[in-house]
Amino acid sequence: MKKFFLTFFSFFIISQSAFALVKIDITRGNLEPLPAAISRFYMDDPAKFSKELKNLKLEEKIPDLISTNLKRSGLFNIIDPKSYIQSPSIAHMKPTFQDWALIKAQIMVSGKLVIDSKKRLRVEFRLWDVVNAKEIEGLALFATPNSWRRIAHIISDKIYERMTGELGYFDTRIIYVAESGAKDQRVKKLAIMDQDGANNKYLTLGNELVLTPRFNPTAQMITYMSYFKNLPRVYLLNIETGMQEVVGDFPGMTFAPRFSPDGKKIIMSFAKDGNSDIYSMDLATRVVEQLTSHPSIDTSPSYSPDGRYITFNSDRSGSQQVYVMKSDGSNVKRISYGEGLYGTPVWSPRGDLIAFTKIYRGNFYIGVMRSDGSGERLLTQNFYQEAPSWAPNGRVLIFYRETKAGKSGVGASSSLWSIDLTGYNERKIKTPTDASDPAWSGLLSK
Amino acid sequence: MNYVKHQLSLIILREVKMLKGLRNSFLVIVLGILISACSTTATKKTVGAGDVYTGTDTVKYLATGVADRVFFATNSSKLTAAATATLDKQADYIKSSKISVVIEGHADERGTREYNLALGERRANAVRDYLMSKGIAKASIKVISYGKERPVNTESSALAWSQNRRSVTVKSK
Amino acid sequence: MYKSVSLSVLFHIAFIIFTLITLPFVKKEPITAQQLIAIDIIQISEKTQLPFAPKAREIIEKIQKEKEKRVVTKQAPPKITPKEKPKAVPLPDQLKAKREEEKKKQNPEEIKELVRQSSEFEKKELFDPNKIAALIDKSKEETAEIQRKQTLELTQNQDSSVSLNKGITLSQEDAIKAQIYKCWNIPLGLPYDQNLLVRIRLKLKPDGSIMFSEILDHARMNQPGQAFYKVLAESALRAVKLCDPLKMPTTGYEKWKDLQLNFDAKEMLRG
Repeated sequence: MKKFFLTFFSFFIISQSAFALVKIDITRGNLEPLPAAISRFYMDDPAKFSKELKNLKLEEKIPDLISTNLKRSGLFNIIDPKSYIQSPSIAHMKPTFQDWALIKAQIMVSGKLVIDSKKRLRVEFRLWDVVNAKEIEGLALFATPNSWRRIAHIISDKIYERMTGELGYFDTRIIYVAESGAKDQRVKKLAIMDQDGANNKYLTLGNELVLTPRFNPTAQMITYMSYFKNLPRVYLLNIETGMQEVVGDFPGMTFAPRFSPDGKKIIMSFAKDGNSDIYSMDLATRVVEQLTSHPSIDTSPSYSPDGRYITFNSDRSGSQQVYVMKSDGSNVKRISYGEGLYGTPVWSPRGDLIAFTKIYRGNFYIGVMRSDGSGERLLTQNFYQEAPSWAPNGRVLIFYRETKAGKSGVGASSSLWSIDLTGYNERKIKTPTDASDPAWSGLLSK
Repeated sequence: MNYVKHQLSLIILREVKMLKGLRNSFLVIVLGILISACSTTATKKTVGAGDVYTGTDTVKYLATGVADRVFFATNSSKLTAAATATLDKQADYIKSSKISVVIEGHADERGTREYNLALGERRANAVRDYLMSKGIAKASIKVISYGKERPVNTESSALAWSQNRRSVTVKSK
Repeated sequence: MYKSVSLSVLFHIAFIIFTLITLPFVKKEPITAQQLIAIDIIQISEKTQLPFAPKAREIIEKIQKEKEKRVVTKQAPPKITPKEKPKAVPLPDQLKAKREEEKKKQNPEEIKELVRQSSEFEKKELFDPNKIAALIDKSKEETAEIQRKQTLELTQNQDSSVSLNKGITLSQEDAIKAQIYKCWNIPLGLPYDQNLLVRIRLKLKPDGSIMFSEILDHARMNQPGQAFYKVLAESALRAVKLCDPLKMPTTGYEKWKDLQLNFDAKEMLRG
């Protein structure tokens, strides 16, 4: 009885206080990039730094590269360093948040460089929530000075991760095909560069046509298609040793290769007597498996990140459309039902979406849909663009565009572009020459 | 294209003849003239319905009167009547001169690269199959697809694309 | 004799040169752009927790739940759905272990029966990124309209059940909203298909300054796969701080001293 009375009484109190509470729904905000300040880093005990190391000016270059990365992501607005009041060392040890709030920064990054007792370079950074006046991340990285770009990329990834709740994509590389020469005699070379375009390097000399390079999960191997000796075949290249080999022994063209998510298999198309079907080959056992068997064109296969499904395009319905099947080739289902043609499906590393190229009324679109084909969203429209490839966090896509050429190919060019899943933040990626067929690596440090 | 229409008019002529008999030959002739007038106006257009190129601008010759290439409609590897006529001549020439050939399949630039590789392969094989049906040995025909990589006309126009949707028969060295 | 030998040598050399040239990779220098150097990373600060009073929170949450059951049936409590997020680059040995747990998460049935999708074009003729802004504006208006209706119903419900606490007027509520809208930087990298509701409880001083603020669904912030929620909650907290002090009505302090702000970015992120 006493208990009953107590609950009754407390219920009364609860309902009283509950009705006194005013609830307000906040459904709007501004979608501006987050204002961030990236402070200069500073050298702790400069006497320990060699002259060469001092000349590298890492205390400026590292924060500058972090700023460039974060700015390019479209999610951050980096406030001009000229307006920073605090010295880098104070900012790193005990920042006065009012000073940073004054220039409207909501977050601030500080850092220092240390030569430790083992004479290694230690790069330390801290991420501060200026508004809530607290430190929200702090890491130290050890590395050789000449890997400073990677250090800056890793720090950028950590900041991105902490502020978005998702993995970053800055410590990554891009493999692509560098193009030069006339449109009807295009010279194509494999090229590799950092995600930001730095450290560009060519892997082939351009003696033969090369197409569609793709990374394995560790970014040490590349599979691509080459017309070496006029036999169009899928090749495997180890970028650290330079060793390369033909994948399998097929009596005809093999193309459209891609690694399985565990890196153990290559999935590709093989054209037998003119009919392209999808095959997989185990790289260790060399066992070849035919996955589709249909008199139509089946190509551009891509595994789901768990390796259990494969998406590909086929014209078995009479036009090029996107399909999904189990990784053993069973349960083939068409998933694209919109108007137009659909090609080059690629499964997002998050597993939820499939990116594709859509051809509709003479225009090319890059879009995404769920793996059951629902929720189609088109991100960008152009005269010609295709072959999206996902950043490892599944939030950004890279693809290539070709321009409309005039008489005798005047004005023809191809270039790499990236776009966010939201359709915002479309950016051209600078390459030394024309470029096509980009593929994004996974995170190098993970 | 022009060739198809010509055949068509012949067929119609025959049917009409059967239906109406010779007594109406006058009317038939008038009709025939009308239809052929139609087809002559069509010859001026190089890209007609079904967007198969019918001109001779980019065409080279294996020998006198033996064109080296045939053209296709968008996303198709079907041989047109004009194509089979060309291939008949090619077959005769290959047989008589006992050469080996490479058939290059090509696509226009309005498709995805990988699909185009497959499409070029399909086109080249359609040609190979036809030549084999005319008695050419499989061993003397090789096939290679270039997809959209080697256009013959580099402009971005409907005409250029129709000229690039082709299969070219090349004497192998 | 010499002639044939030298000819043979010549041909052999020519042959070797020919093979060298035709090999696809003549480049003998290491091809790697930059050798991958292992970079060690260590944590130098403890992961900071956001402020909350555990006991007070328990009680408040209990109140919230009960209240929601009875009054606001429209607002379901945030559903916690662990998100399937495989590592971008699974190493071969990690994969075996991972496969087990992935099996549980991803059923083959996930690839559903074919659903005929009406083309995106039918809805929005041609996609134009510039039109997004316009679309957002439209959805803003719509949601604002819906909210207005909801709050209307809410106040009516309150009116009929309890006549003591009327709360604040609609125009007063709009004034508060307008202030917070300006202060809130919605993080742009949020998943668009998750529950994004962040509820913040405020206690205000008579001058509108914030006495304390706390996140009601605090537990969700540290759940695996919910890192984005922490990010969102922190952004909401920053908004509240940036808006401190709030411009509040000069009268009726008792009515507005306890505020609950429900931050929901869903409609905006959907565009």
